[in-house]
Amino acid sequence: MTATAPPAETVVGESAESAPSRGGRAWLARHPLAAYALRRFGLYLVELWGALTIAFFFFRMIPGDPIQTLIQTLQQNYVYNQQASEEIIERYRHEFGLDGNIFSQYLKYMENLILHGDLGPSLLNYPTPAQDVIMHSLPWTIGLLGVAAVMSWILGLVIGAIAGWRRGKLGSTITTNLSIALAHVPFFFVALILVYVFAYTLGMLPARSAYDSAISPGISADFIGSVLKHALLPGFSIMLIGTFGWILSTRMLMVPVLGEDYLVYAEAKGLKPWRILTRYALRNCYLPQVTAFGISLGFIFNGNVLVEQLFNYPGLGTTLVTAIQQLDFNTIIGVTDIAIFSVLTAVLLLDLLLPLLDPRVKYWK
Amino acid sequence: MRLLTATVKTVRQSHRLAAGLVILTLMVLLAVLSPVLVDAIGKGTDPIELAAYEKWLVPSADHLLGTDQYGRDVLAMVISALSVSLQIGAIAGVISTVVGVVVAFVAGYKGGWVDGVLSTFTGILLVIPTFPLLIALSAYAKNVSLFQVGVMISIFSWPFAAKTIRSQVLSLRSRPYVDLARVSKARDLEIIATELLPNLLPFIGVGFASSALGAIFGLVGLEVIGLGPGGVIDLGQIIFNAINTGALTLGAWPMFVVPIVLLTLLFAALNMINIGLEEVYNPRLRGVAGE
Repeated sequence: MTATAPPAETVVGESAESAPSRGGRAWLARHPLAAYALRRFGLYLVELWGALTIAFFFFRMIPGDPIQTLIQTLQQNYVYNQQASEEIIERYRHEFGLDGNIFSQYLKYMENLILHGDLGPSLLNYPTPAQDVIMHSLPWTIGLLGVAAVMSWILGLVIGAIAGWRRGKLGSTITTNLSIALAHVPFFFVALILVYVFAYTLGMLPARSAYDSAISPGISADFIGSVLKHALLPGFSIMLIGTFGWILSTRMLMVPVLGEDYLVYAEAKGLKPWRILTRYALRNCYLPQVTAFGISLGFIFNGNVLVEQLFNYPGLGTTLVTAIQQLDFNTIIGVTDIAIFSVLTAVLLLDLLLPLLDPRVKYWK
Repeated sequence: MRLLTATVKTVRQSHRLAAGLVILTLMVLLAVLSPVLVDAIGKGTDPIELAAYEKWLVPSADHLLGTDQYGRDVLAMVISALSVSLQIGAIAGVISTVVGVVVAFVAGYKGGWVDGVLSTFTGILLVIPTFPLLIALSAYAKNVSLFQVGVMISIFSWPFAAKTIRSQVLSLRSRPYVDLARVSKARDLEIIATELLPNLLPFIGVGFASSALGAIFGLVGLEVIGLGPGGVIDLGQIIFNAINTGALTLGAWPMFVVPIVLLTLLFAALNMINIGLEEVYNPRLRGVAGE
């Protein structure tokens, strides 16, 4: 992979500190793993820069004037009742990083983001910085999604492995065909059906928000119980569809392995089937699934917006939709940036760690 | 003709592929015939017109699926909505497959720095979460048409197609018969059209099916937040009308159940085609992947 964008050059320059600059080329030739890691890290920075840049320009090109929106909101709330003067508008533009042409805005935005980790003030909750608004909703999303994603991955891996192992048996056939039918159904279909059955028909579980508003947030058994109860339906709807997807892909990886000679050998040695499954067969297909899991984290985020919307769950997705409705640029771009950053970083870490976990993986020459 | 017999042979190799194709064909047929069917349901009048009938009629012989909050016939709505959903899938599927194929061939066949630049760019687009962008686009592009939504969705779905196809181009490029064609002084374009493209058709098919799935899902998702294109009723909109008007408590359950069943069936059919094609063309899965 050749480095093409200008930041890549500077990146290589910076990271060259870790490698001796004199004879660095020779040193890298002798340490292919380090060379691979450096190249991979350079690519990571290029991708990160590219994605953040595309996201920035994309959202800035949406027509609409956020400052007018803010001033209208302030006027509606009687914060001040006379017409906003040019001066005030200019100050707000400066404050939100909306003055000057789009390229100077971009440079300033990147400077604040990289040097200070600052996303600028949030329009919705002015003067709270956007990163604080995001940090407020992030724990809900991570708590709900993280748990659901990990659980569906483990469940899918186990069930998928068994379905592949016992292929041809009735249970396995049913599981496989059910997975084929349901693996690509949108999360919120399940969410809708679950809400209809458990919240409206049976009245057993709450359908909206993250906790009972009658209970004050804090570390108490009541509050934690309420949070868990409220997370049950949205979490389960994400988990169910995710599990079907993982069952399908695990089975697809598992089945070709089953014909391999070393499994026949293990069987001939008289090992118990369960041991062959876990020690021999599963080991060979769980590493690709680790990579797939890292990549999937970002795509779960896409569907999650809808699930959070449906359940009125105070996570990142709900924050994002509200922010888009109000043209709160700093928050919108911030949420997108977090998604981009987490996917790319997850994939980078996996790429760097996999050669250590699996001796067969070799990216370098 | 040779292509036709080859297709028939492929389909006969996999029950899943056959089943998926049958379901999909039936749905497309239903969609194509939708104007005729809607006419027949209305018996001369337009059954989807506001206040065509009484509001909230429960399913009966006259209205098999009842009527909605405006007195529209639900069966007629579902049929025409199915055709809208399939259209968006087709529009976005075609655009993103074409772009994906072009990018994949240029990258995979040229290699070198061209491949480096294109693959990095594809990778960058892949990690940008699509749904926020889509919400933003349709929220501020007022009065978007169905076609525009299709284009917007395909902007973000071609990288998937490009990625799958590129890896196949890479593996095919170094096959002996391609070398042979190159030695016999065939031009690049000729090699691509006659040697590579026919062998990649199943993967292009897989790319098309997943892009179409993504587009239908994307449109339904936009409807959830109330940001779909103006003036068209797709299956997603019927579902969310049902929720927002409390149709479930009024006994109008078909408004909720029928679109979900249809969409699930559509997803299942496209998924079966995907998996069927992979089974047929991936020799490692052949045989063992069957029951």
